[in-house]
Amino acid sequence: MYPILSGLLVGALFGFALQRGRFCMNSAFRDIILGRDFTLFKAVSVAILAEMIGFSILAMTGVITLAPKPLMWGANLAGGLVFGIGMVLAGGCASGITYRAGEGMMGAVFAILGFGLAAMTTATGVLKPVMDFLQKNTKIMTADNKPLTLANIFGLDLKIVMLVLAIIIIVIWVVLALRNRSAEQSFGEKPKSLGEAVFKKGWNWLSTGIVIGLIGILSFPLSAAAGRNYPLGITGGWTNIFQSLIKWQSMVESQVKITALNWEGAEVAGIVLGALIAALIAGEFAIRAPEPKILLQTFIGGLFMGFGATVSSGCNIGHILSGVPQLSLGSILGGVSIVLGGWIMAYFLFIRPMNA
Amino acid sequence: MSEITPTKTIDERGKICPYPDVDTMTTLKKMKKGEILEVLIDYPLSVERIPRSAQKNGHKVLKVEHMDGPNHSILIEVLGLK
Repeated sequence: MYPILSGLLVGALFGFALQRGRFCMNSAFRDIILGRDFTLFKAVSVAILAEMIGFSILAMTGVITLAPKPLMWGANLAGGLVFGIGMVLAGGCASGITYRAGEGMMGAVFAILGFGLAAMTTATGVLKPVMDFLQKNTKIMTADNKPLTLANIFGLDLKIVMLVLAIIIIVIWVVLALRNRSAEQSFGEKPKSLGEAVFKKGWNWLSTGIVIGLIGILSFPLSAAAGRNYPLGITGGWTNIFQSLIKWQSMVESQVKITALNWEGAEVAGIVLGALIAALIAGEFAIRAPEPKILLQTFIGGLFMGFGATVSSGCNIGHILSGVPQLSLGSILGGVSIVLGGWIMAYFLFIRPMNA
Repeated sequence: MSEITPTKTIDERGKICPYPDVDTMTTLKKMKKGEILEVLIDYPLSVERIPRSAQKNGHKVLKVEHMDGPNHSILIEVLGLK
């Protein structure tokens, strides 16, 4: 019971923050080339920096053991590119489609269907050999069989490098920000109270990044206590949920137990719930559906994402939000590939037609 | 409702991200200086992002009006200074 409640709670907090903060990594990276808008990218960066510090301190005090994912360069690259392409088609990254389902958006629901289907097929179905081939043949570990990180390639202690690097980046950022000070304009009416600012209005990028970073920091020890030594994730969660729901799987392979809901599955369910609650309170919930052509597009995007994330062993959350702070080379490559795949797809889908 | 009469209205409700943003920018580019575009939208991220990018492109955001539920109306005056 504990893993379910703990995962659900963390997921609900995460989903609430994702919805309030409009935290979508697909938009964060695409906005850079589509509108030269860095707002969401800054929110993502703040979350990563906060986690670098938080994970480092938790590791130094022995609360957690860091768990960067290994480098499987072929799988990270191929999976990331396919994921990036998929997320632009789907109109959202893995966390994006999850929280937007809670807002009532049918495009996101269709994307999730594609995501779960492809993830299951890749993790345990007919596409598994593709994943195994890529992962096994391009895996590179350290001499003592540890995952490669920005720290150990220089022979340095991971938790110290995480902390020092984060502090250096933050100092540089603050100095630059103070020098280029310009009034950031907000539109609409100003919130009249703290309650309204939290529940009724969208959050600004700094608050969003900090809150999400804190939730990420919280997730690591809680998930570890439930037997899953890693911070926030999405892909494994949807795979788990779909596998738990599809009981026919156990009938076909009668020796295999029906998959039980685990921490990550509960977390993902919690995200939908938290986003739903946030949207309802803010009056932003509504069942919204785009035209059928777009629903097909988001479904296909979901398929790409489910395949890509399973092959790469991480999605935008598993790699960019949870892996990059731990300086995992596999997550850095996975993350960069996702961004590149997204930019390529965004160029063909939006930028070229706009300038035609 | 609004006292400002828009020259053109585009209804982006139900559309997935980033189509509302892309449609808005494309439509603004085709409009004349002084004209007013009204964007009807129900996607929170775009409600906040469209005014940002409109302003970045030199246009003037006249109003962001909350209608019912998640629906908003954004009024943009085409200036196109940039």
